[in-house]
Amino acid sequence: MAIHERSLVEPERILRKERLVVDGVDVSGDWNLIILPRVINDYDLDFAKEIINSPDGKTINQCYQCSYCTASCPVHNYWDERYNPRHFIYLARLGLIDELQKRADVMWRCVSCHKCTHRCPKGVLVEEVLKVILRTMAKKGLIDEYPSKKFDKFFTESVLEYGRIEDGELLFGWIEKQGYKVFKDPILKKPIPFLGETPEWLKQLTIKPIKSMNIGFLVLNAKHMLFHPRTKNWSRFKQVLRKVMQEEGALSH
Amino acid sequence: MGVIGKRVAYYPGCSLEGAARAYDVSTRIVAKELGLELDYLEDYNCCGAMESKNVTFMGTMLLNARNMSLARKQGHNVIVAPCNGCSFSLQRAEYFLETDRAVFEKVNALLREGGVDPLDQIPQTYHILEWFYHEAGPQKVKEKTRKPLRGLKVANYYGCLYTRPHFYARTYAHAGGQEEEVRPRRRDTADDDEHPYYMNALLEAAGATSVEFEPMHTQCCGGPHSLSDEAVSEKFVMMILQTAKRNGADIIATECPLCHASLEMYRHRLMLKGVPDVDVPAAYFTQLLGLAFGYSANDVKLKDNLSDPLPVLKRLGLA
Ligand code: SF4
Ligand code: SF4
Repeated sequence: MAIHERSLVEPERILRKERLVVDGVDVSGDWNLIILPRVINDYDLDFAKEIINSPDGKTINQCYQCSYCTASCPVHNYWDERYNPRHFIYLARLGLIDELQKRADVMWRCVSCHKCTHRCPKGVLVEEVLKVILRTMAKKGLIDEYPSKKFDKFFTESVLEYGRIEDGELLFGWIEKQGYKVFKDPILKKPIPFLGETPEWLKQLTIKPIKSMNIGFLVLNAKHMLFHPRTKNWSRFKQVLRKVMQEEGALSH
Repeated sequence: MGVIGKRVAYYPGCSLEGAARAYDVSTRIVAKELGLELDYLEDYNCCGAMESKNVTFMGTMLLNARNMSLARKQGHNVIVAPCNGCSFSLQRAEYFLETDRAVFEKVNALLREGGVDPLDQIPQTYHILEWFYHEAGPQKVKEKTRKPLRGLKVANYYGCLYTRPHFYARTYAHAGGQEEEVRPRRRDTADDDEHPYYMNALLEAAGATSVEFEPMHTQCCGGPHSLSDEAVSEKFVMMILQTAKRNGADIIATECPLCHASLEMYRHRLMLKGVPDVDVPAAYFTQLLGLAFGYSANDVKLKDNLSDPLPVLKRLGLA
């Protein structure tokens, strides 16, 4: 017998017997497989409430568990079938935090492609809801730091500081965060490519434009790395932005 | 035709003023040739891309509302963005501002506090491809083509957020479980959800041939996780590149600086690893249109592309 969504059932709960006799009746053959019931001993209904009360998470209650989202999801289909948006919504609504925590290693992997949101027949903003679930878990300390959250924070802080981002700084800053030693010039404290440790692929990738001598492109990007493009008239707006983020508990310091 | 307006606010986004300079330059060239006018949005800020929205909801609304307010100040009702991420962010903000009164009022109060004019009206955002298609269209592109892209087989890559999700970009919003007609806006202009064709149509009008590319034309490239989740991005890009190559494409046409960067970066890494059939180069669709309009490879900054499409184009006598 096929088990649908096999990834949702823990191996310990699947009982398969060569010959199976129940109450004196031989049920071998098609009936030799049993999934043991699951015991729920802890749930937290406030968790769902918090999601429903946020403007981007309120559509969670419209979900009727059709799984169209999961069927569309590239992370589910091409990466790991344990990544299952429908299931995450189900668990969040029931407040089964420990079940969500078991999947913490895949939950952050959503690439925001919006196939789920696009196709949901009930108008659930699936991608948004999943991010709110993650955000809520992180806020309550129910999930450890995960790579995309680090990057999101890093990115947002750059926006907050300058009003704009700069690709080179983002790239090298991120590499530094991953543990590579990036060399910085002593005055402006900006990363200088090639002088520190750089992943091999990146070195080769950056050598290419140097070889084809595209001076204009190099100068422009070097200039931007040294003098980060800024939005003018930013300081007052930045304060408001900072205040809002503090209210939401989104700033680490 | 002609439903969006010939003169619009142009929100290039951070990327186009740095690493994706080629897209900016070629976009301006194409717009000029097609008789359309881009009014640069002065002093804009980052839209928050796909990252800020995971950190702060209100903050991201504010970032986008500030840009909308600047557009209003310059007298525009329409913003055009060449980046999938930027147009998505602005449309997302548009959606929440329009469907959630509380959000709208809070945002306006905060804008005032931050020294920015509050929004009297919410401008609508379009992707530049939609704008080109509706305001100029294949017919105009054909008229302007001096050097047809004859023999060039293109895989048109649209990425995720150009068509998705439909109710940020489309007619109605789902507010509180009810499907409400908010205002009849984008029904007539948005591309087909699952089978987008605007880029195919424009490039075909310029003489190129589109290769079969479904369903990879809207498959994610790893997008916001390009840097933070390399394993997944690499796999997605591999699927995209191999499909393009095996379907006979000479080149992949892109319409988003992030997709473009992701494809080029992982193409390079996959080639280093010796993965077969991944060597298709990428170019912005505006670069290809620019070439067709008679501009040189230098004019459209083809050398900026890390994946180097020049040899392929030279072989076909197009650059
Ligand atoms: S597609 Fe929508 S309704 Fe169906 S399971 Fe997913 S979120 Fe729920
Ligand atoms: S947005 Fe995330 S959850 Fe939705 S389909 Fe894409 S990867 Fe899957």
